[in-house]
Amino acid sequence: MATQQDTNRGSAVRHRHRVEGPQKHVVAFIFSIVLTLIAFAAVAAGGVNSSFTIILLVVMAVLQVIIQLAYWMHMKDKGHMIPIIFMAGGFFVAFTAVITALYWVWW
Amino acid sequence: MSAPHPEQVTSALPHEPEKATLEGRNKVLAFWLFLGGESVLFGTLFATFLALRNQVADGPTANELFKLPTVAAATFILLVSSLTSVFAIQAMHKGNRKLLQIWLAITVVLGLGFLGLEITEFYEYVNHEKYGMTTSAFSSAFYTLVGFHGAHVAFGVLWISMLIGQLSKKGLTVVTAPKVYVSAMYWHFIDVVWVFIFTVVYLLGKVG
Repeated sequence: MATQQDTNRGSAVRHRHRVEGPQKHVVAFIFSIVLTLIAFAAVAAGGVNSSFTIILLVVMAVLQVIIQLAYWMHMKDKGHMIPIIFMAGGFFVAFTAVITALYWVWW
Repeated sequence: MSAPHPEQVTSALPHEPEKATLEGRNKVLAFWLFLGGESVLFGTLFATFLALRNQVADGPTANELFKLPTVAAATFILLVSSLTSVFAIQAMHKGNRKLLQIWLAITVVLGLGFLGLEITEFYEYVNHEKYGMTTSAFSSAFYTLVGFHGAHVAFGVLWISMLIGQLSKKGLTVVTAPKVYVSAMYWHFIDVVWVFIFTVVYLLGKVG
């Protein structure tokens, strides 16, 4: 019985769900490649102000991760509130660990 | 009493077979919790690495050691493999088991290529650069962080290979679909971690 209901639910979802083509994912891929190239080029060129390069690298990485989480891992789709809470929780602890370790070294 | 033929099951497959059953939905949700935990694991390894990356003792520094072309190649391979696993899921949503298996197989091959590059890199460091696990605090932190990621790639390669086999045996059903979906999520996460590794370890190592 449960399986039958679940199957019905699945077909109900099918009507609401638009079939997603590969375009968006290819665009996300191209964005990732471009961001990666900018990061590598900034380092390969060298000689530029190093603190500017560091900020640029971190921004490129954060942008790329956001794009990949949103598009490839579907976090932009609705019904992803709990996954967002899980991941934000994980990232929060990770970020806290990084800040703590850096301060611990500086002192 | 024989099990239904895989093709019959496929024809009755809902559009998003990974979310068609309660078990499938629970599996996906629980996997997000796992990925949150994985973020904490890698976060602590990154924290350790950032704290110790200048403690090179008598060993080589990051700037002397790392070669950008190798890292760029590894990055490109992993990025493409993330895209092929997206294509695998799209093939699954169309109910095309053969195409799904082909894209998964391409993902596995790219994963093996990445591992090959990493193993060669580590081999060079240990044998030609005198940069081993116990050389310096920097080297220990480096091998632990990058090695943990490499181990995740190796596990993913093994896992997805086994799923390809199971798809041949059991077909694409509401039971096998969540497993494939979750493995694709895992693979994307591995790629996300690599974005931070090539930025924090390699590129920042070059900048200083």
